[in-house]
Amino acid sequence: MLDHLLAPLDDTITIDQLTVAPYPIYKRLRAETPVLRVKSVGRTFLTKAADCKFVKDTPEIFSSDDPNTPMKRAFLAHTLMRKDGKEHLAERMAMAPALMPKTIQEVWAPLYRQLADEYLDRLPKGQIVDLHRDLSGPIAARILAHILGIPEASDQQMIFWSQALIDGAGNFGWRPEPFEISDRANAEMDALLEKAIARVRVAPDRSALSVMVNAENPIPTSQIIANIKIAIGGGINEPRDALSTIVYGFLTEPEQLAEVRRAGKWGQAFEEGIRWVAPIQASSRLVTEDVEIGGFYIPKGDTVMTIQASANHDEDLFDHPERFDAFRAKNLHQSFGSGPHHCGGAHIARRTVGAIMLEALSERFPDMTLPEPETVLWRGFGFRGPINLPVKLG
Amino acid sequence: MKITFIAADGTVTPVEVTAGESIMRAAVQNDVDGVIGECGGSMMCATCHCYVDDAWTDAVGPQEDGESDLLDCAASEVRASSRLSCQIKMRPELDGVVIHLPESQL
Repeated sequence: MLDHLLAPLDDTITIDQLTVAPYPIYKRLRAETPVLRVKSVGRTFLTKAADCKFVKDTPEIFSSDDPNTPMKRAFLAHTLMRKDGKEHLAERMAMAPALMPKTIQEVWAPLYRQLADEYLDRLPKGQIVDLHRDLSGPIAARILAHILGIPEASDQQMIFWSQALIDGAGNFGWRPEPFEISDRANAEMDALLEKAIARVRVAPDRSALSVMVNAENPIPTSQIIANIKIAIGGGINEPRDALSTIVYGFLTEPEQLAEVRRAGKWGQAFEEGIRWVAPIQASSRLVTEDVEIGGFYIPKGDTVMTIQASANHDEDLFDHPERFDAFRAKNLHQSFGSGPHHCGGAHIARRTVGAIMLEALSERFPDMTLPEPETVLWRGFGFRGPINLPVKLG
Repeated sequence: MKITFIAADGTVTPVEVTAGESIMRAAVQNDVDGVIGECGGSMMCATCHCYVDDAWTDAVGPQEDGESDLLDCAASEVRASSRLSCQIKMRPELDGVVIHLPESQL
């Protein structure tokens, strides 16, 4: 195996650089060192689309079960996100019926349409508002609470829990404070879930919680709770950031918005937005046997990081990848991943943000503008999106 | 070996494949519109739904374990001939198979 030629080691790239402006770095890595051990992150970065796809589609070699991450500590449970094979499949399928197209068409899409109207009603026409804070986050939290079967949770609670779990799961420095906050969130979620489980037992519905609790052969309650928590941690930031990213794309390319509106190509615009800036930019996999990637020897025990943000900008697949272009003929992005851990919320995201919200927003505020695009700040290495979006509603 | 894809709008696309390849992968690698196969064949996404032509349903065979659960959730109408194309591997007796594609996968 190539005389065990290890991938080059970089000790210059910092997590701060990756958090503020990752795309120029990934562009350089794709051209120069597409397989690179990055010291500051402690992972082997894969920045080409083919390598990322290979890793995700080969779970026999690339395991999701990395016991050395803070995720277990943050969730106080070993969740399906970090399991493999049959165990992962059983827990995933327990929840899947609530997240699949038929249920979405019959239940969640009509509900989302109604919620979208209510949330748009609250926005003051003619004024400047932070759309990221006032729409993208709250609507993502609200529909998720319903889908999961905990509509009694407020938007603020959902957003707090989600961020607490994310911060805890990303606490690679193992500092005590993020875990203190995630413990508090866990206690609140546990209390609410106990009541919600009792409720759906008596009155079953189509929610994820009800489907899991009332299954013929239910998975253990501890795993039902862990599944709900992973969906809270992983179900708000992504649709929130996707919506804000696409709105930013449209408002800085208004002629594209006009054409999408004319042609009704909202779904295509959604796909392009999540390609352009993938809400989940990178994922880790533990290497369980010696393997070769891109001509380099990757030893068993290494952790590789698929950088889907970079795969989505791979010049082999995309022309002018750095530009938001809602009219790409083909858009084989990897923002929902691939393989057994393919995003469970993909259908929901497409049929809510993609099929409903973009059009509803554009109908409600057809003359919306972004007066100062340069004031929009983008942040994030693992998760990425704008952190503010001051639009003028018109 | 040959597969013929017929899209919902009637577009016919013949594709050459080797034995062992899945019909989903054959479609994706040959840029056949109407199949997405986003999860790479893990039976997770239901975006490679297809209808096996009536003349070929016996040769192709019934749905695999777990396939019907996911097909329940497919975006387009599910019929008796519905399959997930990632679960059909090409073998000699399927040479020439005709596959119809649904209107939408998303």
